Amino acid sequence: MSPKQPKQALPRRKTKTGAKPKARKAAQRGTAGRAPARESLRAQLERNDRLLRETGYLFGLEEMQRKQEDPGTYEAVWQILLNICNTAHAVGCRVSSSPIAAEGGDALWSLHLPTGEAVCTSRGIVSHPGLLSLLLRSYIEAGYEDDPGIRAGDIYENNDPHFGGIHSADFQTTVPIFWNGRLIAWAGSVTHVMDAGFVLPGSIGFMNPDCFSDGVPVVAERVGENDHFYPWYEKRMRSRTRVPDWTMGDARGRLAGCLTIRDRVLALVEKYGLDFFADVTREYIEDSRRYAISRVRTQAVPGRIRKSNFKDLAMAGKRVLLPVQNVDCLFNLPLEITIDVDAKVGISLQGASGWVPFGQNITPDALVSGMLNAYSHIVGFDMFNWGAAAAWSLVEPPAGSWANPYPVNYFASSGVAWAPAVVWMSSLYEAFGRLYWARGFVEEVAAGAATTMTAEFSGTNQYGLYTAGLTLEQACNGGPARGIADGETSAWCIYTPNADFGNAEVTELYYPVLYLGRNVEPDSGGYGKFRGGLGHTAVWLVMNTPGIEYQCGCAGIRSKLCGNHGMFGAYPTWPDRPAYASGTNLKELVAARQPLLHERGDPEHPNIARNLQADVIEPNLIAPFVTPEPLHEWDVIVHPVSGSQALGDPLEREPEFVQQDLDDGWGQERVAADVYGVVAKFDEGERRWSVDVAATAQKRAAIREERKQRGVPFREWWQAERERILAKENMADAVLAMWRSSMELSPGYAAELRAFWKLPDDFTF
Amino acid sequence: MSQYDISELERLIDGELPWARVQEIMKDAKDADRFEKWVAILQARVPWKEPILLPLTTALFIVRKGRQRIVKCRCGHEFGDYRVNWKLAALIHVRETEGQLAEVYRGTEQPDPTWIQIREYTCPGCGTQLEVEAVPRGCPPDFELLPDLDTFYRAWLGRPLPDAVACEDKTLEAMRRWRIEPR
Repeated sequence: MSPKQPKQALPRRKTKTGAKPKARKAAQRGTAGRAPARESLRAQLERNDRLLRETGYLFGLEEMQRKQEDPGTYEAVWQILLNICNTAHAVGCRVSSSPIAAEGGDALWSLHLPTGEAVCTSRGIVSHPGLLSLLLRSYIEAGYEDDPGIRAGDIYENNDPHFGGIHSADFQTTVPIFWNGRLIAWAGSVTHVMDAGFVLPGSIGFMNPDCFSDGVPVVAERVGENDHFYPWYEKRMRSRTRVPDWTMGDARGRLAGCLTIRDRVLALVEKYGLDFFADVTREYIEDSRRYAISRVRTQAVPGRIRKSNFKDLAMAGKRVLLPVQNVDCLFNLPLEITIDVDAKVGISLQGASGWVPFGQNITPDALVSGMLNAYSHIVGFDMFNWGAAAAWSLVEPPAGSWANPYPVNYFASSGVAWAPAVVWMSSLYEAFGRLYWARGFVEEVAAGAATTMTAEFSGTNQYGLYTAGLTLEQACNGGPARGIADGETSAWCIYTPNADFGNAEVTELYYPVLYLGRNVEPDSGGYGKFRGGLGHTAVWLVMNTPGIEYQCGCAGIRSKLCGNHGMFGAYPTWPDRPAYASGTNLKELVAARQPLLHERGDPEHPNIARNLQADVIEPNLIAPFVTPEPLHEWDVIVHPVSGSQALGDPLEREPEFVQQDLDDGWGQERVAADVYGVVAKFDEGERRWSVDVAATAQKRAAIREERKQRGVPFREWWQAERERILAKENMADAVLAMWRSSMELSPGYAAELRAFWKLPDDFTF
Repeated sequence: MSQYDISELERLIDGELPWARVQEIMKDAKDADRFEKWVAILQARVPWKEPILLPLTTALFIVRKGRQRIVKCRCGHEFGDYRVNWKLAALIHVRETEGQLAEVYRGTEQPDPTWIQIREYTCPGCGTQLEVEAVPRGCPPDFELLPDLDTFYRAWLGRPLPDAVACEDKTLEAMRRWRIEPR
């Protein structure tokens, strides 16, 4: 079927009077954003860049004529476009049938200008509009308009990070929208497939040593025409991915959503006219840029914000693919933000450590899109589109770092490029939280984010078929503490505003596991005046399978570390530590109606070790890893999903909040006493806790005094610490390697580090 | 443009507003006079008279003292020039052994002390825990926020501060006088 092609555009509706002469003049000379007819895409792109450079406004839109003339229609059409994109999301996810899209909604559809800039997006994974924008731009820069040409009905696709993707599990499909033979827009979509053909099953390719293990490549290419995929496209998916029905289901879902956008946009153009559509879509993007700038100007403070952060990837001694991977890595994820007098935000990663021989490297383009994701949560979430990206600039990350690997290693893997990026993005939350606090917008403050630890299964499922795929547990963390309240529990996710871990019962249909528990994890939101929202722990019983592998993946975890997120005196969340047991006595326990395993339990005496007998019990594992042997029926997995960060001195937490957490089973007695300084006792009769207010005040005063006694003047500590640094005392090899690469890749960062500790000019770790 | 009564803002700040009302405030256009009211509320809550120029954290403020701009704790303890990382004037306690960490993090919750240390910065005046860092050895302390106060007051608020100073990080300059003493 050919795409719907109206024979001719309807005449433009009459312009209302009252527009300012300057704006009218700009429109007449073609600088009000809209491209002259027949201008090539490349010329449009160059013109857009020039106008932004010369005027400071996207598309030179010093004035937004359509918004000024008829703000009601302007807003109404925006809502129509939102509905179109969200309809595409609903259609696409239903067509897809893959658990990630259908059950978790981990997907996105969007509308773009002919030159690529995202105009409007659906719900879903808001990190993708930026990548789609840059991908479309790359098609134009590569001359695709002439060779191979862009035609109505074409389907272009990419998943290669070398050409605009983030990691190959995220397939990016784009469909041009033509009106009367003229390209007027693009529809775009990204879905995260269940298996991308990586060297290991699944879609979280943390173990990929290089790009040659990054799975089936779709390299910025035309994969179909006349609204149909080429037959060889499906053949490629069938031979190079492990669950091709889901992979092709996703492909059809992406296409169905894009065609939904195309058809409805054409209907909208028919109603409002092409000129209106062309004008208003550009104004929405400029409007978004202005919103992001104005939010910074009215709610933040100019100056410099710094936040260091780190992420571990401890793989030495584990099951790896190549000898070079038998190594522990530590990532340096520094963030420096500068805000100038015009509220323009500059972002730098100077000091970022080097690329790693795993799938945890990301390109600067993908990082830009990740920042757009973070911005959508904390700065520019009204009229969300490409515009916010013009409100800030990213200094090119150090060449050869995890954030810019290709100048040094073009073969670097990006199997799960999000992993370091989401941990780094967490600092943006805290940084802007500090700015909003300074300005008094306490209701907008968010402490740092949670981590993202994934669970994937591969093997024979309960239907006797091979399966490989991801659960949705990690798509539902606790949310960051606010400036005035605790974060929300199991209701937040850093990479999507639509946190959704799917239904346990549906997950049980997809994979050969049964949920023994899905419980809120006590004290998993850091310790502070306001704690982060709590995470949860899934406990899975393997069932109805001859054997499956459990891949505890890193899509942004910390397992050796806590995040550097003690905002205003709070303690950060603890490390991610999964557990599993194989060869268990669970079958016997069930038969004997004995207690099973439903939650993690006491961190010093985890339930998995207390309640079970098994051939193998691993109660405190350093993630990520792949189980050395397949798991079998009656084996069990304890998979925690983290909460987010806290804010404020824990001694300032209202005792009644501590009591409430104790009553709910969301807090531990030891933490209440030792960290929060609350004197509470459990009333067996009432079955609840009660706080001794006077004793609590006394205990807290004593702890404050103890802090003053044990604390040493910073300068004194600095002297001693400097000696320990020179001696490299108690520093893991991964720490030393991280500092070496950070200092080598960023000489300015190295000079500042040496100056702070007064180290010799030639000092290296 | 929204505007809120100062008593409602106090209830917002103290976490006493119903959540539905907080959501309304979050969704409405922001109030242009928030900063002035915010500072007024905080100023009334501290036991000292130096004018607050910018709140930094729940406990720390940049204040004007004579012609100087310094960081001051709500208890009254002073940390010096706001362009020098105030941590240099704080007390520090570092957890870098399993035993020290176990007072906060135990069992499966404990990070690896060869990878990371927990640094607690305490106010020498009141014992408030001002910041906590979780960083590997070698990491200089974060200087989280160095505001450009003069640009903020002049260009964004429209009321320039007297005695403008250059917005530059003076931390290393302050440390220049620190001598390395033989152990």
